[in-house]
Formats: sequence, C-alpha cells, structure tokens
Amino acid sequence: MDFRLTETQRFFREQASQTLTRLAPKAEDIDRADEFPLDVFRKLGKLGYYGIRYPAEIGGMGADCVTFTLLAEEIARVSMGLAAVVTMQCLMGTDFIYHFGTEAQKERCLIPAIRGEKIATIAFTEPDCGSDLGSIRTRAVKDGRTYVITGRKMWITNGPVADFVTVAATTDPAKRLGGLGFFLVEKGTPGFSVGQKIGKISARGANTAELIFDGCRIPEENFLGREGKGPEHLNNILGEIRTMIAGLGLGLSKASFAAGLKYAGEREAFGRTIGSFELIQEKIAEMEMRIKASEFLTYYAAWLRDSGASTGKEAAMAKLYSTETACFVADEVTRIHGAYGIAEEFPVQRYFRDARFLLFGGGTSEILKTLIARDTLKRNRPSAVI
Amino acid sequence: MNIVVLAKQVPDAEALIEITSEGRELLIEQKFAMNFFDEFALEEALRIKERHGGRVSVITMGTGKATEALRTAIAMGADAAFLLDDEAFLQGDGYSTALALSRAVSKEACDIILCGRQAVDDDRGEVGPMVAQFLGLPHVGAVLKLDIADGLAVAESAIEGATEVIEVDLPAVFTAQKGLNEPRVPMITGVMKAMKAQIPRLTPADLGLEPAQVGERGAKVTIGRYIAPSRKPPVRLIAGEPAEAAREAIRILTDVERVL
Repeated sequence: MDFRLTETQRFFREQASQTLTRLAPKAEDIDRADEFPLDVFRKLGKLGYYGIRYPAEIGGMGADCVTFTLLAEEIARVSMGLAAVVTMQCLMGTDFIYHFGTEAQKERCLIPAIRGEKIATIAFTEPDCGSDLGSIRTRAVKDGRTYVITGRKMWITNGPVADFVTVAATTDPAKRLGGLGFFLVEKGTPGFSVGQKIGKISARGANTAELIFDGCRIPEENFLGREGKGPEHLNNILGEIRTMIAGLGLGLSKASFAAGLKYAGEREAFGRTIGSFELIQEKIAEMEMRIKASEFLTYYAAWLRDSGASTGKEAAMAKLYSTETACFVADEVTRIHGAYGIAEEFPVQRYFRDARFLLFGGGTSEILKTLIARDTLKRNRPSAVI
Repeated sequence: MNIVVLAKQVPDAEALIEITSEGRELLIEQKFAMNFFDEFALEEALRIKERHGGRVSVITMGTGKATEALRTAIAMGADAAFLLDDEAFLQGDGYSTALALSRAVSKEACDIILCGRQAVDDDRGEVGPMVAQFLGLPHVGAVLKLDIADGLAVAESAIEGATEVIEVDLPAVFTAQKGLNEPRVPMITGVMKAMKAQIPRLTPADLGLEPAQVGERGAKVTIGRYIAPSRKPPVRLIAGEPAEAAREAIRILTDVERVL
C-alpha cells in the first residue's frame, strides 16, 4: 500500500499551483465583477490546460484522473468561479465530442476548445428536472437526416458565452432514461438562444443561464453517442464528474482551512492568540481530520478510475463527503473569524458562499446517499453473504 | 549558441524557517521554488536561444528534491538539466559551490553563462562572479538588458542614478536582475516533457574534484551560528485629534526614530 502521489503527479500539482497563482491572483475581482474571466481563460488555453485529459495528438496531455483531480483541487484553492469554467471546458463540455464526435466536429469544436479559442458547456438540468434525468422534457425528434431539439435548460455554466453545447434530450420520453441522448448544438444554430441569466452567490465569474432550444434543427451526426446507450454514457462521465467535484471540494476546504489557521494564529483575545483556546483547537482538529478523510476518498476514487475499476460508488462517496466537508470547513472558518468572517475584505466569506456551489452538480448529497445505500444493499443481499 | 544557466532551489518565500540546535541548524519547511533571480536568467537564456538558436542547459547543486527546480526549467523550455547531487556538496559556501559549478559548466563549451544576481535564501551574491573567476571569463552583474550579436554581448545594468552599458566578448558570465524580462509560465506540453525528462546526477568525481574540495570541507566561510532577526515592536497607535496625532507622528519619526 502506498498513499503517496507519484513524483510526476506532485510536480504537476506544483506547476499548476504556480501557474494559477501567477495568472489568476485576483480571485476577489473575479468574484466581485461576476464576469466570465476571458483573459485568464484564454491564457490557460494557450498553455494547454484544457487538454489535460485528452491525448497529445489533439493537443492534450493524456494525464490520468488523479492528475486531473489535482488540477481541480488547485484551481478551487484559487477561485471557484474560474474552477467551474475550467473544469467545464476540460471535462463535461468537451467529453462527448471527444468520444463520439466526427472528425469535422472535433476540428471545429474540440480542438479550438482545447486551445481556449472556443467555450464549451453541457446542458443537463431543466427548470423541472435535475437529478431525475429520466424525466427530462427536452425532446430530440428525428426528421429525415436531422434532429429537431425543443426544450429549455437551466443552470447552465458558461451558458451565456458558450460557442457550443452538449444537450441532454430524450428521443422517447416513454423510455425515461433509456430515451436519453446527447446532441451537439453550436452557437448560431437557428432556434438556439440564451434565456435569462441567473445571478448567484457562488462561483461568481462562471456565468450561468437558461438555454432555449426552439425547434433547433441539427444534422443527425450531431447525435453524440449510440442510440439507447445514453444511460451508459451518462454513468461513465458521472463518475469522473463526481471525482472532479470532490477535488474542487478538497481545494476549497484546504484554502478555507489555511485562512482559518492563519487567523487563529494572529487574532488575539484575552491576551493570547485565539488558536490557544481549546474550542478553537477542537475546530482545527475536526476540520483537519475531515479534510484528510476527503483527500483519501477523493484520490482513491481517482486512482480507482485510473486502475480501470468501476468507480460509481467510490466517486459518489468522494463527492458527497468532500463537498459536505467544504461546507463544514468554510462554516467553521467563518466562525473562527468572528464578524470578520462576513467582511468582504477577507476571502472566507467567498469560501463560505462558494462551498454551496458544490452541493448540486454531479448529484445532491441526498441523491448520492441513496445511490451509495442502494449499491451497498444490492451487493450485500443475504443470499450474497457467505 | 550554447547557453548554461546556473539555478538554485531555495525555500519558498512562505516556507517556515526555524533556527534549531542552539543556532547551528535551520529547520526549513519542505516548500521550495526556483530562486527568484534565476528565473530571469533562465528566461533570458530561452529568449537568446529563440533568437539565435542553440541549446540551453541548466545546472543545479542540491539534493534530490532540487530536481523539481530542474524540471521546472525543462518545462519552461530548457533542453537539458544536470544535478550536482552528492553528500560531499552539502553545507558549502559561495566559493566551494562556484568551484563545483564552474567544473560542471566547463564539461562542454559554452558561449553564455547566466545565473541570478543572488540567491534569495543566503543573499550573498557570490556564485556568479566566482564562477566567472574560476573559468577565467568576464562577468557582468545585475543585468537589466542583454543583446547578443556576432560573438559580442552588450549588457546594461543599473548603477546609482544611471545605466551602465558594458560590451563584452563571449563567452562571458551574466547575472540577472529583476526587470531583465518577464519569466514565462510553462506550457502543459513542457510540463509533460519535464515529467519524463532524465536528469543526470554528477558527483565530485565526475567533475574531477576531491570530496575535500567541495561542500563544507571546501568552504572558505564557516557559519558560526544563526541568529533570528529581532522581532518588530508592536504597532503603536497615536491617539488624539488627527492634526495633533500627525504632529506627534512626525516628532517620533524625526526626533526618536530619526528616519526623516
């Protein structure tokens, strides 16, 4: 058993950390302006970060899941708004085109996205449908050699600025999840428009909006995947999404914890630093322990994926625990800061707000608990126990 | 054009440093980075290579951990890296370090040797000029601009109230000052290359040196003990009306602290 990162993984993390610190030192500005951080986005593209998961032949790095998770962690330490944008570009926004797109689609969308020249997103959620993707209402109707997409999507990260979107739609609502498919829609396609923008308190800078598909006609080759295999494709990517979000939670926890430690060592009350009080020490011990547990769960889920094992449950556990820990740590750290915990001049109020962003994408904690328990019950049926 | 960069891995600016063993040792948190001034040297070497062609090699003395600084150099665009890694190299001073580095440099012919004007850990600024001395080459310190053409270098450095322009024949040694350039951020393809790079390790024997000539045994300087800088006194708030408080602040600065 070896719990250490490899030398190359550690080196990558160090390089990513230094790069992000140099390129994105103004996380507070991104948060306050709540505008898409185009300058940093382009720079990271030129440096090749969006290709981290993809092979070198298309401008990628071919890195393993542990390395990608480390990138998520390091960006989340700096800015959750930037992290939401970057991880969308690296994973959800481009993955379906990479696996199922035609060469022309890759040339037109994927490769420019890897270079940071085009902005990608994915659209799962609808006004009345989040975790329950089987009840998706957006329809994809086959019409000759085209599909016609009709429906509304909500909470779409990068929605207002995206050049192309992978849209989850159903070809047959009666089949519920079995009818699920994924379709490439490019900006400028008639019938595709951006609806209301959604102001939010978390991950500001990652602009979120409603997307509208009103009889949006696309060529049949824009169906990304195989007919009837939507749930399989979804499960494949969900494991990686959850592991990545666990990495975001871990990064945010570590950033919050560092701020809390610093403040506890500087702030004085009753003639001594508050870190010397036992109730503050209890918080520090509890936070550190939970962060370490998040780290083990997160890296383990990523390592499992790299080992070729099924990661469904482990990724769910990592995402659930790491994001709940991020909320816990951000909360505790604002308490350590007292009234300064809600002061704009301290970053902890941003961490507190940003932690909430992690609770929903990739499955809510409640849904994930259900998945974990169902899997455990299934595997431990009395008949299966020796 | 063959360019050699001498780079050092130093404790990160935020690393915690503690004096232990009654002042004889430093306990340094394991957070390291390439020396701030060496990054300018490396960037300049890469720019010269891009303009004139050639090859950039980077040499570091340190323990295995220092390969990180060398990998960073490769990620930025260096072609080769060498680590002087041996117990005998440890605890050296500027003299014994410069001797070993100069021997490593002289293993291959080169046109330009660049390093930072000083390392930000010990701040002595000795190694660059000493390497030049050992190699019998000219040296220009704290360079802010460097132009290379036809075997000649024109270097500018800041002196008090003016800029000094020095023409020097190559090969020569230059130490880099902040402002020489803006070091690049490594491309991810560079990071990949760096992760896979083989970094040869050199011992005193590889450099034709005896263990007694390098590190602590070869040093001319002996460290007596480390003394922590005195703690800054707490901030003093001056009470009273603003005009009155300002007058009191000026009185303290002029009559008590004598800094105005």
